[in-house]
Amino acid sequence: MKHKICFTINREVKEVEVEPNKTLLKMLREDLDLIGAKEGCGAGECGACTVLVDNEPVNSCLMLAVEVDEKEILTIEGLSDGINLDSIQESFLKHNAIQCGYCTPGMVMSAKALLSRNPHPTEEVVKEALAGNLCRCTGYQRIINAVLDVAKKGGKK
Amino acid sequence: MKKFEYLKPDSIKETISILSQFGEKAQILNGGTDLIVEMRDKVVQPEYVVDIKAIPGIDKITYSEQDGLHIGATVTLNEVSDSKIVQEHYPILAEACKTVGSYQVRNRATLVGNICNASPAADTAPPLLVLEAKVNIVGSDGEKTILLNQFFVGVKKNILKRGEIVTSVTVPHVEDEWTGVYLKQGRRKDVDLATVGVAVVCIRDEIRIALGAVAPTPVRAFKTEALLRGKTIDESILEKAGKSALTEVSPISDVRSSQEYREEIIKVLVRRAILQVKGVCNA
Amino acid sequence: MLKYVGRSEKRVDGIKKVTGFVRYTDDLKLSGMLYARIKKSPYPHAKILRIDTSKAEKLPGVKVVITGKDVPIRVGLYLEDKTFLAINKVRFIGEPVAAVAAESEEIAEEAVSLIEVDYEELPAVFSPLDGIKPDAPLIHEDLGNYKHASIILPQSGTNISNHYKIRKGDVEKGFKEAGFVFKNDFYVPHIQHSAIENHCAIAQADPEGKITVWAGCQSPYAVRRTLATAFNIPLNKIRVISPAIGGGFGAKAGTTLEGIVIPLAQQTNYRPVKLSFSREDVFTNTFIRQGMYARIKTGVTKDGRIIAEENKFYWDGGAYTEYGVNIARAGGYASTGPYDIPNVKADSICVYTNHPVGGPYRGFGMSEIHFAIEQNLDIVAHKIGMDPAEFRRKNALKDGSATVTGQVLENIGLIQCLDKVVKDIEWDKRVKKASKIKYRGKGIACMYKAPSMPNNVGSSAIVKINEDGTVNLLVTAMDLGQGSDTALTQIAAEILTIPTSQISIVTGDTDCTPYEWQTVASRTIYCCGNSIIRAAEDAKNQMLRLASLKFGIPEDNLELKDGQIVSKIYPDKKVKIADLAMGLTMPDGSGIHGPIIGRGAFIPPDVKDTDKETGQGDKPVAFWTFGVQTAEVEVDIETGEVKVLKIAAAYDVGKAINPELICVQIEGGIVQGLGSALLEEMKIKEGKVLNPSFVDYKIPTTGDTPEMKISIVEVPEPTGPWGARGIAEACMVPTAPAIANAIFDAIGCRINSLPITAEKVLKAIMEKKK
Repeated sequence: MKHKICFTINREVKEVEVEPNKTLLKMLREDLDLIGAKEGCGAGECGACTVLVDNEPVNSCLMLAVEVDEKEILTIEGLSDGINLDSIQESFLKHNAIQCGYCTPGMVMSAKALLSRNPHPTEEVVKEALAGNLCRCTGYQRIINAVLDVAKKGGKK
Repeated sequence: MKKFEYLKPDSIKETISILSQFGEKAQILNGGTDLIVEMRDKVVQPEYVVDIKAIPGIDKITYSEQDGLHIGATVTLNEVSDSKIVQEHYPILAEACKTVGSYQVRNRATLVGNICNASPAADTAPPLLVLEAKVNIVGSDGEKTILLNQFFVGVKKNILKRGEIVTSVTVPHVEDEWTGVYLKQGRRKDVDLATVGVAVVCIRDEIRIALGAVAPTPVRAFKTEALLRGKTIDESILEKAGKSALTEVSPISDVRSSQEYREEIIKVLVRRAILQVKGVCNA
Repeated sequence: MLKYVGRSEKRVDGIKKVTGFVRYTDDLKLSGMLYARIKKSPYPHAKILRIDTSKAEKLPGVKVVITGKDVPIRVGLYLEDKTFLAINKVRFIGEPVAAVAAESEEIAEEAVSLIEVDYEELPAVFSPLDGIKPDAPLIHEDLGNYKHASIILPQSGTNISNHYKIRKGDVEKGFKEAGFVFKNDFYVPHIQHSAIENHCAIAQADPEGKITVWAGCQSPYAVRRTLATAFNIPLNKIRVISPAIGGGFGAKAGTTLEGIVIPLAQQTNYRPVKLSFSREDVFTNTFIRQGMYARIKTGVTKDGRIIAEENKFYWDGGAYTEYGVNIARAGGYASTGPYDIPNVKADSICVYTNHPVGGPYRGFGMSEIHFAIEQNLDIVAHKIGMDPAEFRRKNALKDGSATVTGQVLENIGLIQCLDKVVKDIEWDKRVKKASKIKYRGKGIACMYKAPSMPNNVGSSAIVKINEDGTVNLLVTAMDLGQGSDTALTQIAAEILTIPTSQISIVTGDTDCTPYEWQTVASRTIYCCGNSIIRAAEDAKNQMLRLASLKFGIPEDNLELKDGQIVSKIYPDKKVKIADLAMGLTMPDGSGIHGPIIGRGAFIPPDVKDTDKETGQGDKPVAFWTFGVQTAEVEVDIETGEVKVLKIAAAYDVGKAINPELICVQIEGGIVQGLGSALLEEMKIKEGKVLNPSFVDYKIPTTGDTPEMKISIVEVPEPTGPWGARGIAEACMVPTAPAIANAIFDAIGCRINSLPITAEKVLKAIMEKKK
C-alpha cells in the first residue's frame, strides 16, 4: 500500500506516493531523478549514498522513503545553484580531490554537514567525520586538505 | 526488500497492541541501520514494520543525581555522544557510542536499538554493563525494569517477550569519583565491528569489567572483578586478571578474527584498561 | 617551451563530477527499460543436470528467461574459455546459470528464485598447488581445443592454462658459483578492486538487428569485439557506449556482465534491459585479483651481487582465465624485479581453480610478484649483512643492463628514484622505539612494470576542427578517474597551439570515437597520446598546406602558433585555424579541400614475441616504468597493530604531462597498496567467499591515510609523448613489500603472506619470543 509523503527536497516542497519498502536512496534516484547519491553497497558501509536529512548526514540506503515525511532533504544537486558552486565544491576542484567522481557527492555532503556543525575542525575531526565515505581513487589526503582549506577560510570563498 | 505494511503508532499503548497482535510478523523500525540491512539480505522479512519514532517522550536524554541518566528509545548514538550531560557525567558512554559505525550511521542508529539488536559485539553494551544500566520495558502486562546484564540472553537474542518494547535505558548515578574507558579492537582504525571490546570503570577503588564480542552476549567479568578487589595493581595481578577474564568468556574464530588472537587481545585490553582507569602511566 | 604539456591544468571533468551531474551507467534510465537478475550456482564445481525455468517464465511481469543455451559461444581475450552463462557445468560458486528480464527488480528477483536447477557435484580444486597435481580434477576438460593468442601456452589435459618460461644463462652454474643460496616462499591471496561504482550494463536491440550496449568499461572496443564473437553479430551492428566510469582498476576491463544482457535484450521486443550488480555480486561475479604462491631461490656472491635466481609463480587463476593467462605471462617476463641478474630460470604458471574469476587488477601481476621479490631481496640483504637500500642499488638495472628476457635497457631512472625516497624517509635515521610498546621501522621496495598487451595492438585519434576554430578530440581512451581526459586534451592543445578550454574530448562510443585497444596496462598516455600527436600533426599539416596555397609561401616557411598559421618570415601573413577549418575559400569564391579532420594511429614500434622455450627476446614490451617506495611503520608489539606513518614514493614517468594528476594518482595507488598490505583478503573457503561485502572486506578509510611524499623523476622514454611513460599501475606495486620490510625492521619478524594483519604480526612476535 502506497503512502503519501510530503517533504522538502533541495528547497522545493514535494509530495510523493511511495511503497514503504522503497529506500530513500531509491526514491531519490528513481522517482525524483536525483542520481547524485549512489548505491555503492546498500548496507551503510560506503557512504556513497550520503544525503542530508534535516541537516544531518545519513546513509540514504538505510532509510525508508516513508521516513522523510515532513523532513528537509539536501542532496548534491541542491548544493550549488547551477551558477555558483558551494565553497566545498570549489575547494575539491582546487585541491584535486576528485578522480572518478563516484564517491564525490556523498563525500561533499558529509563535508558540508561537518562544516555546518563544526566550522573549524582539526584534521583528526575531519578524518573521523569522513571515515564513513569510502574512496578508492584518491587516497583521501586531497579530500582532507580540501575540507581543511574551507575550514581555514571560514567558509568564505 | 519484500513488501510490508508500514505502521507509525503515536503512543506506546498502540505500539504494544500492534506488537502483541502480530508477534514475529512485525519488526520495530527505530534507527533502521540494523533492520534495513537485514531486510535487504532477507535475514528477516516482516509483514509489518512498526516505526516508533513518532512516539512522544522517548526521544530525550535526561539526568538528575537522583534518577541518573535516562536515555529514550529513539535517541541516536550521535545524540548520546554529543550530549553535554553524557560527556560530563558518563564520558565512557559518549566515547563508546562514537565507535559504532560511521558518523552517518550514528545519526540514525540508537543506543536502545544497539542493545536490543543484542549483537555480542555491541559497543554500547560493555560500558552500560559496567555502569549497571537498567532497561525499562513496557508490555501488555505493564512496565518493568531489569538489569542490562539479564537483558541479553543469547547471540542476537534479548529477553523481550511478544508485545514488549524497550522505552528507555537508565544509567544509575555514580556516587563516588570514578573513571572509565572503553577499548575496542578492530581490523581497521575506523568503522569496524569490534573483534574484542573491553569496558572498565574504577569507582573509588572498585573495578568493574565488561567484555564484548567474546561470548554469546556482552558479559560482566564478575570473577575477575572479585580477584582484583582490594588488591594493589601491579604486573602480577594484571596478568592474573587477564587470565581470569579469559575464563569468563568464550571467544570464537570467525571471519573477523581467530580465537587465539582474541584471547591474546582480551588479556592486553583488560590490562591496558585497568591501567588507564587507575591513572598509571602506560609507557 | 611547452605551453600545455607539463602543466598541472585543472581536470576538464571536475565540475560535472563535483556537482553530481555526471552520469554513470546505473544513472541511465531508458524508456521501457526492463531489469535483469542472475541465477547463481551454489556449488564450486558441478554438472548441470537440469534447469527448469517454466515457473519463472509464468510469473507476471517476467519478459525473458535465458540459460546457457542462449550464450553458446566461448569467448575470451587471450584464451577463449568462458561463456557468459554456464553451459553443462558450473566452475565457481556464484557462476550465473540463468538470467531473467522483468518489469522490476523485485519481479526479476522473485523469478530467479523460481528457477529450478539440479546439479551433480564434482570434486573441486581450491588451490593452484592442488590444481597442478597429476590427479587433480580437471576444470576445463576441453582446454586443448580452446582458441588462444599465440603468446599463451595452455597445457591440454591439465588445469594449466598458461606456462611462461624464462631460461636465461645457466642458473645451476650460477648457484654453484654463489657464495650464498637462499630459498623463500610467499603467498598473496585473492583481493577485489572495490571500485566504488558497482558494475552495470544496459543493452537494447533495434529492428535492424543492431545492439547498443551501455556499460562503464575500460575497453569499449574489446567489449564490442567479444560480444560480436559471442553472439555472431558483425562489428558494425554492435555499438558500445561507455558512460562515466566510477573506478576501474582492471575490474571493468574486458567483459564481465555485458554478455548477459544481450540475449535478454534480443527477446524483449526492443525494450532495453539493465543488469545492475550489487556489491556482493561484484565480489563474486566480476574479476578478482589472482592469488599467488611464489618460491624464490636466490644465489648471491659474497660481495652482494645476485648471480642466479630461480622463481616459481603459481597463480590461482580462478574458474576462467581468459584474461588471467596474460598476468602469468607478465609475471614471467618481469619475474626478478628491476635487477640485473645474469642467470634466471622462471616458471610462471596460471592454474584453474574453482574460485571466482581471476582477472586484471592494477599492476597486472606486478604487485603480487613484487611482494615476493622485494621481501626476498630484503631477507637476502639482511642475511648477508648488507643495507637493503645499498643491496638494491648494487643490483639495480642500469643503462646497458639486460632484463630477464635479455632486453638491453636504456633511459632508466631507477637509481634517481631510489636516491629520492631514501632521502625523503631519512633512511639512515632510525627511531627504533617510540615507546615501550611501539616499535618503528623503515623499509624499501623497488618496482618496474611494462604495459602487458599484445605486441600489435593500436590506438587511434581523430581531431575535428570546428568552424570557429575550437576542436573536438575523439578517442576511446577512457577516463576512469586517472585524468586521461585532461592529460590527453593537454597533448592535443600543445600540438594545435590552442588552450585546452578550446578542445572538447569525446570518448567511449564505438560508433563515433576511433579504435582504442583498452584503457589498461598504463598505456594510455603513451599509446593514445602518440595517436593524438599524429592526429593533431595531421590536422596541422592540412592547414599548413592550405595556408601555403593561400599565401603562396612554401609550407616550411609557415608554422602553427597560438592557433594561427603564420609565416616565419612575413609576420603579417597569418590566418586563424577557424578560417581554414572548413577548407580554403579562394579569391574567386570557390572552395577547396573541405573540413579539416586530423587522424592519427599508433602501435608501439618493434615490440616482438619472445621465444616460447626460453622467454628471451630483445624487445618484448613497449617501455618500462621504474619506481621506488620507502615506508615508515609503527608496530604495537602487544596487539600486533601496524600503523603506516609515512610513505615516500618516486617514479620515473619520463615526462609528466600533468604533474598534479600524476601525484594524486600515486597517492591513491599508495593507499590502495596499503589496503592490500594490511587489510584486504577475500576469505574463500571451499570456493565460497565468506566476506563479499564491506562489513568484512575492509578497504582503507580516511583514518588509514599515511603521510605521503611524492617525487617525480623524468628520464625520457624516447618513443613516448615528450618522453612520457605510463604510471597508473606502478604507483601501487611496491607499497605492500615496502611496508612488510619496514615491519621486519621494526620487530625483526617476517610475514611472508598478505595481508599483514595484526593477528599475524602478534603471532610472529610471540613465536620470536619463544
